[in-house]
Amino acid sequence: MVLLQTGEESAMKSKNRNVRAVAASVAFSLIGATSLGISNASLAIAADCSTIKLATVGDPYEYSLKEVLPDFTAQTGIKVVEENLSYDALQARLSAAFVSKAPDFDVTTTDAMWIGQYYDNGWIDSLNTYAKASAKDPELNLKDFLPSVLHSISTWRGNLVGLPVAPYAQGVMYRDDVFKKLGIAAPPTTSGDSWSWDKYVATAQKINGKVVNGKKMFGTVIVGQQPVPIVHMYTQLAASKGAMWFKQFPTGTWDFTPTMNSAANQSAAKAYVSLYKAAPKESINYNWFAAGMRFAKGDIGMMYWWSPYFYLVQNNDYMSGKPSSIVGNYKIAALPKEPGVAQTTSIGGWQLTLPSTSACKDNAWKLIKWAASSATQKKMALVTKYGTQFSDFGRKSNLEDPALVKIYPYLPQLEKMLASGNGKNVRPPMPLYPALEGVYGLQLNKILGGADIKKTLADTNSIFSNLLGGNFYMPYKGKSYDDTFANTTALIDSLSQ
Amino acid sequence: MITKKRTPWLFMAPSMLLLLGLVVYPLYFAWKNAFYYWNLTTSPKPLQFIGLENFKNVFKLTPFKASFVNTIALSFSGIFIEFFIGFTIALILSRDYLKTRLFRAIIILPTTIAPVVVGFLFLYLYFPNGGAFDWLLKIIKFPVPAEGLLGSSKTALPSIVFADIWQWTPFFAIVLYAAIISVPIDLLEASEVDGASFFQQIRNIYIPVIKPVASVIVMLQFMRLFNTFDLVYVLTKGGPQTSTRTLSYSLYVEGLNNYNIGLASAFTIVMITIVNVIIGIYVFIFLRKREW
Repeated sequence: MVLLQTGEESAMKSKNRNVRAVAASVAFSLIGATSLGISNASLAIAADCSTIKLATVGDPYEYSLKEVLPDFTAQTGIKVVEENLSYDALQARLSAAFVSKAPDFDVTTTDAMWIGQYYDNGWIDSLNTYAKASAKDPELNLKDFLPSVLHSISTWRGNLVGLPVAPYAQGVMYRDDVFKKLGIAAPPTTSGDSWSWDKYVATAQKINGKVVNGKKMFGTVIVGQQPVPIVHMYTQLAASKGAMWFKQFPTGTWDFTPTMNSAANQSAAKAYVSLYKAAPKESINYNWFAAGMRFAKGDIGMMYWWSPYFYLVQNNDYMSGKPSSIVGNYKIAALPKEPGVAQTTSIGGWQLTLPSTSACKDNAWKLIKWAASSATQKKMALVTKYGTQFSDFGRKSNLEDPALVKIYPYLPQLEKMLASGNGKNVRPPMPLYPALEGVYGLQLNKILGGADIKKTLADTNSIFSNLLGGNFYMPYKGKSYDDTFANTTALIDSLSQ
Repeated sequence: MITKKRTPWLFMAPSMLLLLGLVVYPLYFAWKNAFYYWNLTTSPKPLQFIGLENFKNVFKLTPFKASFVNTIALSFSGIFIEFFIGFTIALILSRDYLKTRLFRAIIILPTTIAPVVVGFLFLYLYFPNGGAFDWLLKIIKFPVPAEGLLGSSKTALPSIVFADIWQWTPFFAIVLYAAIISVPIDLLEASEVDGASFFQQIRNIYIPVIKPVASVIVMLQFMRLFNTFDLVYVLTKGGPQTSTRTLSYSLYVEGLNNYNIGLASAFTIVMITIVNVIIGIYVFIFLRKREW
């Protein structure tokens, strides 16, 4: 018994030793890992701002910007690590980083409609202080921007929240050779009541199905993919017909009561369905690029779309550098206008913003200012690696530069389009916009699929009401901001002194 | 004696910690926040208690009905077809027509590919006016919709089911093959002597023997199909309209697109309830007589 007890005791002691050893090693591992974490955190706090991180999206500006970024490093000594993401991935990545307050990027590319959400949640900083400090810096020169561009995409609640690096307007591209062959009058270069949406639809229907130079033509092409792309094309038509998202926004005292089922929006939906009937059937699934580059394939009579496509369709595929079959056979025209309704051109596009979590804000501001400067924008326009590309200017100095007009003859037209635009009316950048856009896109796609327009828009209105009510936007008890052109101009003036 | 009591717990501790961290806590998180208004884009913390509002919004604010119908259609059709084809392949493998280990290794390859990669692969195969499937179907005069297979609400969901069948049927085949080869050879020989046909052997010998294994993998694969997200996200994003929208995709939209954590939590609870009811009925019918 004594021997057994001794044996049991020593076995127990041995087991206890093993358990303690395992526990100790686990504890030391945890301590070591924590120390590593702490020292990493310490390193992060003392961030090395000689390298900064930039988030971009795969639009044409990115292709040019990355070619000229070495000039920024040569000029300032600051290295830039660029990460290029798709539209969906960019939005998801930015939102995730902002929500978790994890420092990810020092400079972010932000879409026009996200600024309300990003700024009101404190995710991006106001650039007012930086702009004021750089008021005399010719690289900034805020007054060189078209006020409508800054108003539409870069200002929120009296703050400059970004600098445009690639603003867009919307206009019409048409095949003048096809129009001539079919005896159709060319669309005008300036908006007027005679060039109405009804006329646009009728023209598309006239071209649809005709054979020109051995090729069967479609009247037009549309963007039908839900949830996001379809909204970007549809809302231009809707705004042009006088449809608004809410009762009162962005001017005056904000009232987010939705007006999705207005007569103007129903008329817009009818027109969009008519355009789809004159478009390739597969365009119900087309995103921005698929629709735009379909025009370059040569079987589309005309389309209205974002201004980058004015040059992108010169390539046979997106940024391919190989000429398309329509080079020299298409022209730019004005957007149709609803008779009796003031024209609203959609302004969208991209700007560089400053995340509040960046540890290198001074250097980040240097990059933002440099990338949006007149000189850099011109350099970007002269990059020919992918064929003629990038004319997405927001500055008068670039839009009126004779050297650039020689390469992009439509720049004077583009300037007029931008000058008459108001992006905030077309796609309101209120904080709930991304959620509303998701619903809107789905409903619009249903309409293209044959759903009853009146009922679907009424359902949209109902869902919007529930969403806005559930998120405390209806009734809106927060602080409104009278977001007028006049106030934006006053802001630009104050930041330029 | 004390050590003997502690040691098992010590060995079980890592698994229990994982279970707590990956299952219990998330469930508790979902249950708790389903009753709160919490949108990450407006507040880093839950704002207020709103009772059952989130659960009502699951049915009011999201295309729940379409998502539910699509999920059930996808799950049941996928399971039946994958089981049937997988069983057929397993039988063929067991007959030694294609005996080589190489063939068995090749057949399992689709299962090793990430679903997202499979999604992109089929996205290009289904591409209208250029994709290989589009071209092949037109050659055999199959009426391909003008919008493309993924652009038509009639063919989009079957196209997703097909991609899933391509990827996961081999899994059924391999598992059922392993079950089939466990059938005693003398039983098969005896049945042959008694004049049983191949189909009689399948019905009276193979199926009863493989039933326990088949029951379990059908259940597991059903749960996987019920949660289908990757293929939908890559191929159609729930469109056209809501013809391919699944419950998982709707959950993703609410939680990771709209950051509505409260609503997403309620949606999670609803989904868990549905799948538990279905699996509960399945277990009652097929597995209750098993000894575990």
